[in-house]
Amino acid sequence: MTRAEIEQKLIELVQKEKDIPQEKLTPETLLADAGLDSLDALNVLFTIEEDFHISIPDDKARGIKTFGDMVTVVQELLPSV
Amino acid sequence: MSSRVAITGIGIVSPFGRGREAALEAMRDGRSGIRCIESIDTTGLNCRIGGEVPAAAHQGMFRGVDRFSRFALLAAEEAVEQANARGAIEPERLGAIIGTGLGGCETLDGGFRRVYKDRQPRVPPMTIPLSMYNAAASAVALNFGAKGISYAPVSACASGAHAIGQAFHAIRGGHADAVLAGGADAPLTFGIILAWESMRVMAIDNEHPQSACRPFSADRKGLVLAEGAAVLLLESMEHANARGQAILGEVAGFGITSDAGHVTDPSVDGEARAIRMALRDGSVADNEVAYINAHGTATRANDLTETAAIKSVFGSGAARIPVSSTKSMHGHAMGASGAIEIACSLLALNDGFIPPTLNLDKPDPDCDLDYVPHASRPARVPLFLSHSFGFGGMNGVVALRTIHGL
Repeated sequence: MTRAEIEQKLIELVQKEKDIPQEKLTPETLLADAGLDSLDALNVLFTIEEDFHISIPDDKARGIKTFGDMVTVVQELLPSV
Repeated sequence: MSSRVAITGIGIVSPFGRGREAALEAMRDGRSGIRCIESIDTTGLNCRIGGEVPAAAHQGMFRGVDRFSRFALLAAEEAVEQANARGAIEPERLGAIIGTGLGGCETLDGGFRRVYKDRQPRVPPMTIPLSMYNAAASAVALNFGAKGISYAPVSACASGAHAIGQAFHAIRGGHADAVLAGGADAPLTFGIILAWESMRVMAIDNEHPQSACRPFSADRKGLVLAEGAAVLLLESMEHANARGQAILGEVAGFGITSDAGHVTDPSVDGEARAIRMALRDGSVADNEVAYINAHGTATRANDLTETAAIKSVFGSGAARIPVSSTKSMHGHAMGASGAIEIACSLLALNDGFIPPTLNLDKPDPDCDLDYVPHASRPARVPLFLSHSFGFGGMNGVVALRTIHGL
């Protein structure tokens, strides 16, 4: 999966959890500023783990501040083809 | 400090549907709300009946919370609206005390089913905040802006009565001007029903759900599980009068005791002490009690013990007090039942009748009080008691005045 593809998929998953316009989900946007509170973020991470069949370790999850961080973490955890 | 505590709002979600009118009609007609369970797949269960809240009464409303919290929110909303309470009570002086016996069963059952049955590696992150016992109290506080005393009393089947009693004391003690108080439970999940089946106290009569619950009848079969919520807006009399709000009733006294005996076998002593404490707490004379809404679970242990407790308190006067079990109509909604029964009693009594005990076809010779069998009875009741006796030997008795006793 390319980074762009992951990004697109994550936008979809975030929007499934909360009604956030796509333009708010730029790589630099802080998740909190986009309107995701701590519980929303937990739910999004859960959906991501389910969808991508990956497990995001706590230390990596805690490091996610922006939407871009989220894409990076998923990219790192996806098995390289 | 306020010495008197008024009821200015009543909200209820029950097997009869959403709202006061549905419950009042069922009480008046003596109609059972117990039916075949539809909200879950009951394949593999012996007991497939319950006092289930109809889907149309709650589906799609207050989304994103557990079923028991949704019931509490709908009941609280109805109470708040009836009491015209939005913006009328200072948030710091408004509380939310919502009891529950089992909390968010739907969330827990669903979460663990994923792991144990579906072999999924994880449980959804909202499992804890949705299923915790104070989730309903929290949801009510959050939605209705209650920033004062808020928590969840947990005492099995007495939780709802304890919530209303503790809220009454909190207002009387000056800790709040008003409290949204009641109980909520939604135990009709596969695992919880199985657990109750193992206790062998369930009325298993899938072909005749409406006659399955037979309190005080010699041919009783046991209890019928149910779900729902009721929430009262309790308000200091001064506060309610100052804003010109209609008073629907009054909490007069509260008794709360523990058997410290057996975990599931009730005791006459513990129950009788709770009744006496409620009377004393409200300075109510024995002969003022004109109706008792019984705990009336339709188990032999309860029916006999409760009858004996009433007789031990009221002596020969017990014979003149009508006692009925509305559980014969709405089933046993665990921690919600005390609140549901207080709400149903108030609605019926304010309307001028006593709700009946259905299915009392074969009077048990060991239960010899006036149980108002089969049909509601026109009556003017100024003051009544509501009994709740929970597993763990925890008892709650609330004394209330109706509009005829204010």
